Amino acid sequence: MENNVILETEGLCKYWGGLKALDDLSLAFHDNQLHGIVGPNGAGKSTLLNMLCGHYKPTSGKILHRGESISSIKPYEFARRGIGRSFQKTNIYSNSTCLENCSVAVQRLMGGSFNFFRSRYSQKMLDEIATQALEKVGLGQRRDHIASQISYGEQRQLEIAMVLATSPEVLLLDEPMAGMGHEESQLIIDLLSRLKKEYCIVLVEHDMDAIFELSDQLTVMVDGQHLVTGSVDEVRDDPRVKEAYLGQGDEVY
Amino acid sequence: MLLNKRAERLFVWIFFPLALLMPMFLEQNEYYVNKLTTIMILSIFVMSLDYLVGKCGLITLGHAMFYGLGGYIFVMIAPEYEAVNFWIYTFYICAISATVAFVIGFLVLRTNGIYMIMITLAFAQMTFYYFSDSIDFGGTDGVFVYVKPETSIFGLSLFDLDNPTHFYYLCLLSLFNTLLFFKVLIRSRFGRLVDAIHANPGRTVALGYNIFIYRLVSYVVASALGAYAGYLFTLQYGFVNPSMLSWTTSGTALVMSILGGMGSIYGAILGTLVYEGLHYSLEHLTEHWLLFMGGLIILMVMVFKKGIAGFLEDLLEKRDGK
Ligand SMILES: Nc1ncnc2c1ncn2[C@@H]1O[C@H](COP(=O)(O)OP(=O)(O)OP(=O)(O)O)[C@@H](O)[C@H]1O
Ligand SMILES: [Mg+2]
Repeated sequence: MENNVILETEGLCKYWGGLKALDDLSLAFHDNQLHGIVGPNGAGKSTLLNMLCGHYKPTSGKILHRGESISSIKPYEFARRGIGRSFQKTNIYSNSTCLENCSVAVQRLMGGSFNFFRSRYSQKMLDEIATQALEKVGLGQRRDHIASQISYGEQRQLEIAMVLATSPEVLLLDEPMAGMGHEESQLIIDLLSRLKKEYCIVLVEHDMDAIFELSDQLTVMVDGQHLVTGSVDEVRDDPRVKEAYLGQGDEVY
Repeated sequence: MLLNKRAERLFVWIFFPLALLMPMFLEQNEYYVNKLTTIMILSIFVMSLDYLVGKCGLITLGHAMFYGLGGYIFVMIAPEYEAVNFWIYTFYICAISATVAFVIGFLVLRTNGIYMIMITLAFAQMTFYYFSDSIDFGGTDGVFVYVKPETSIFGLSLFDLDNPTHFYYLCLLSLFNTLLFFKVLIRSRFGRLVDAIHANPGRTVALGYNIFIYRLVSYVVASALGAYAGYLFTLQYGFVNPSMLSWTTSGTALVMSILGGMGSIYGAILGTLVYEGLHYSLEHLTEHWLLFMGGLIILMVMVFKKGIAGFLEDLLEKRDGK
């Protein structure tokens, strides 16, 4: 098959006390594809991403990486396997420069993190790879700016640059366009349409136009339940989806 | 650059030359030489704590445990009536306390915030009561050190530890090396991780780092240096007793670190100097010195929100800005 399955979930469940945030979810994510996830607020989209990256442990069910169950490995080992993620709420090193933000990511691959004596500023290679990650998302000119002082949209781009700097294979992106203006969103859309040729991307996003434009596969979730998965056209015309969204009433605008 | 703040450079360039010349000004006035020696030993201790609390964000109330262990390990392993080699025992003491820190850190670093404060305190208190109640180690009286170590290295003996001025210089050298060590460490690749973990642990895990290991290494290093300070203290006064392990020792060090400017490293020296300076002057003025001291500390912490170091940095930057 042309598109290999990289990441898979089997009967994945997450309960918060009595609340079923995620109930019996089985999905497959393919290489060089963008898999969109949509659903109303509280559908369990972030919960899913948080489990795919190892941040939460599943209540039951399995996560498979290239066929191997990884449900019980440590959170940091997910990133080492090439599963990188960005966060719904901007999560960066706000008091460091953009370059430094990416350098932390690159250093894991370059090694030397237990070196007490060698200056962190002494390796050109590391700087170059970090700079490339910034350039990839269009933040090249912001290299030496402090992360807290760039615009909100740029911080979202930096999020993605940091993930890219870890040389991942899977990108888990949680609402990268949240709170962005139209032009900034367009930048991210262009970026993602380029990136999806190289990576396996799981994208959670409320912006329907963006998700319809980008997704190769699309999953709709409601209240922790899987509703439908298919191509954009299949999902758009599915009567259950229309019902679910209309049935939500004022929660979806 | 290693010293990246103006205030820091200024301080280092004033403090160390002055400290180098100090014994000449004091004209062998032993009392003051000893006082300053103690301040430098305490500065090493406070600096290692400042690294943990201010740089790594690991808030411990049990650092005195290692300070005390530095002394107790020495009296445990050194023969009573024989001069051992100072450098070799420095190595032993650092290695043993590092091993202890490794084991304790394994448990302590699984917790954080208030729980970590409680557990570090609990370990320190256990050690405190163990030595207070132990007959072998003289209970609350502690143990005397009858013979001070000799300091020969490759047949060259630089310091005579019975001579207060020599001991002063040994402690000054130790303090300088500790400062240098931490500055190099913080600038290193390892330091990058220390900064990242402190600023945003969750993000650092998401980037694929096992942050536990980095914290453990920091904890071990800082504890070994804390023990080294305790070893020096024991050698200076010729005894070790449980008060070195007491939680007030940890608390006082924490106050000194906050006063100096948490995480600034060189601020540990400033904090210790100011605290001990106040202590000394007030003690001679009034018998209610503790009351005034408390008030003054509260006032200073309120005025200097980022400690004395932070205040100096802001001052110099503002002046530059205009
Ligand atoms: N740590 C937690 N503890 C308890 N309940 C949680 C936790 N995290 C999420 N939940 C609950 O799980 C459900 C799913 O939340 P989740 O954040 O996954 O939704 P979402 O689809 O990402 O929504 P949104 O579109 O608002 O981001 C919600 O009802 C939420 O309140
Ligand atoms: Mg969400």
